[in-house]
Amino acid sequence: MSEIERERRNLRAKPFSKADRRFYRTATWAANSSIVLVSLILIFLGIRSWPAFQSQGVGFVFGSSWNTSVEPIVMQIGPMLWGSIQISLLGLLIAVPMAISIAYFIVFMANKTIGRIVTTLVDLLAALPSIVLGLWGLLVFSPVAEGWATMLNQALGFIPIFASNSGNLLRSPFIASWVVAVMIVPIIASVTREIFSQLDRELINASLALGAGRWSTFRMVIMPTSFGGIIGGILLAMGRALGETVAIFFVLNLVFDYNWFQILDAKGGSVASMILAKFGEASPAEVSGLMAAGVVLFVVTLVVNSIASYIVAKAQPWRR
Amino acid sequence: MSAAPVARPATAEPWKQISSTSRLRIALAILLPLALGVTAILLGLRFELALLFVFMPSQLIMGVIAGRGISGKRGQSDAILQVLVMFFGAAVFVLLISVVWSVIAQGWPAMSWQFFSQNNVYISSTTSLEYGGVGHAIIGTLLVVFLSTVVTVPLGVATAVYLTETRGKTRSVVRTLIQALSGLPSVVSGLFIYALFIASGITQYVGWAGSLALIPLMLPTVTRVAEESLILVPQELRNGALALGAPAWRAFAFVTLPAAKSGLLTAVLLGIARIIGETAPLLITTFAADSTNPNVFNGPIATLPTYLYQFAATGYETSIQRAWGAALVILLLVAVLFIAARVMTRTKSASKKGRK
Repeated sequence: MSEIERERRNLRAKPFSKADRRFYRTATWAANSSIVLVSLILIFLGIRSWPAFQSQGVGFVFGSSWNTSVEPIVMQIGPMLWGSIQISLLGLLIAVPMAISIAYFIVFMANKTIGRIVTTLVDLLAALPSIVLGLWGLLVFSPVAEGWATMLNQALGFIPIFASNSGNLLRSPFIASWVVAVMIVPIIASVTREIFSQLDRELINASLALGAGRWSTFRMVIMPTSFGGIIGGILLAMGRALGETVAIFFVLNLVFDYNWFQILDAKGGSVASMILAKFGEASPAEVSGLMAAGVVLFVVTLVVNSIASYIVAKAQPWRR
Repeated sequence: MSAAPVARPATAEPWKQISSTSRLRIALAILLPLALGVTAILLGLRFELALLFVFMPSQLIMGVIAGRGISGKRGQSDAILQVLVMFFGAAVFVLLISVVWSVIAQGWPAMSWQFFSQNNVYISSTTSLEYGGVGHAIIGTLLVVFLSTVVTVPLGVATAVYLTETRGKTRSVVRTLIQALSGLPSVVSGLFIYALFIASGITQYVGWAGSLALIPLMLPTVTRVAEESLILVPQELRNGALALGAPAWRAFAFVTLPAAKSGLLTAVLLGIARIIGETAPLLITTFAADSTNPNVFNGPIATLPTYLYQFAATGYETSIQRAWGAALVILLLVAVLFIAARVMTRTKSASKKGRK
């Protein structure tokens, strides 16, 4: 540290005048309203979904059947919840290498102009609405990906993951996870790019000067320093993937039966898409069940997101 | 004017001087796999297979050989890293181009004046494309999005002000909650408004319910970007204004706010881009309508995403074309917002350079 640390003085502007007090009060009021908003969402969804939780018990989250034509009605979202998690994890598996590659390319390989162009394109990908991606997934990508799935199934069908019971490979978790991957690549890429560009250049130059190549620098210098931030970005993207609704609804077959690992089979689930699919012709009791499903999904996303923001905050000390 | 900088000698960066044999190696490492891949495709191999099993391995091998020849053992791992980075990076752009191109190519035939101006009354999913359009949905989208923008932007910017300009005790709580809100699944946001207003019998399907459902989705984006742009304003500016005797609100309104203006506008545009394609919450709260409804406070209202959803779900050829057309219109709206945001951030950096 060449600079002498100056004592930071607490410059405090006291709200003397009435106008100042009004200014601060407006800001505080707005901020508090966001607290109210989140609590309102939780309280109202909680109230409306309570009957479903009460009548279904723990089975609501883990059971695997949804039948509203019998009395008493059975509503269980286990396969949907697993499907959401499965698709997000698979999507991450596809998206993470792509996103880190793009970020590495922008920061460490491209020159300024190309880097800026690529950044713009990644931002453009982030701005594509999910319903447009869903339409693309349904009409353009699904047939192509079905071909890939057929090849995978024929070549590697002896491995349980690539096996298929039904023989129908369209509308599978495999395809849905690709669509989700396209959606979350820009999220991970922009977080990773920011972290990479905040890295201390001296550190990297020192590593290069010591004779390390790109790979050793990446593995021994870049990764250890930015690992936490990247994990945070990945979890942030997972939160988005878990909540994705329409795009998945277009490309996935929703089946109320656990499909643990046969990712090529046309049998999957997604809580958000299920809510959308069932909402149209739902009885009041069923709507309560759908809201309970929404609550479960929100809680899962909230947990993933809180972990993410905690990790990002810890890993990026320059952001306060 | 300082003295002209001494020119660097040409030998100052010896690592950038590549011998001609190395150049040849690099050229071979680029061209040979390409030639192999093209040959494999010409021989009748499927494109994806040729890419994965001919081009990629040969590119890796050639890269490793070239890398080894140029800088020894560490050249190998460097070559693998670079080849993989380029390959995965290119994959993203293939996907991006595929999406954008298919929307433009498939949506283009649906484009016509009446597609923009007419509404969906008397149109079924098999009516030919010469009749009907998305006029009502464009109006609906603009109205619904405008209403949520009018509510969200002041709220979000004021929250950002609270986070950056004040020393409120609940700042970290607010920041955490805003962060949490950004993970709110859009369909749950729609369900929330449905539970609050529609299920409880306060109203039927109506435009403003859709606007309300979009607010929790837009708020985190606006707040985060606005906060970021306010943080970028140097603390010295604020302190200077306060030291000159300005009250806090004047220091904010006449110093901080103008300095952060372009960033705040970007926040607004990114927020709009975030919600303009949202479908699920609107399906649950505004429902779809066929006629033009210019009143967000009365009756169901059609929006572009719900229009797209409606026609994509039926599956006839003309309805699919209508869906692509709607997708293209959404994409155009997003592009306009996107370019506006770019232009604004660029003018900012340009004027900075000019002042120096």
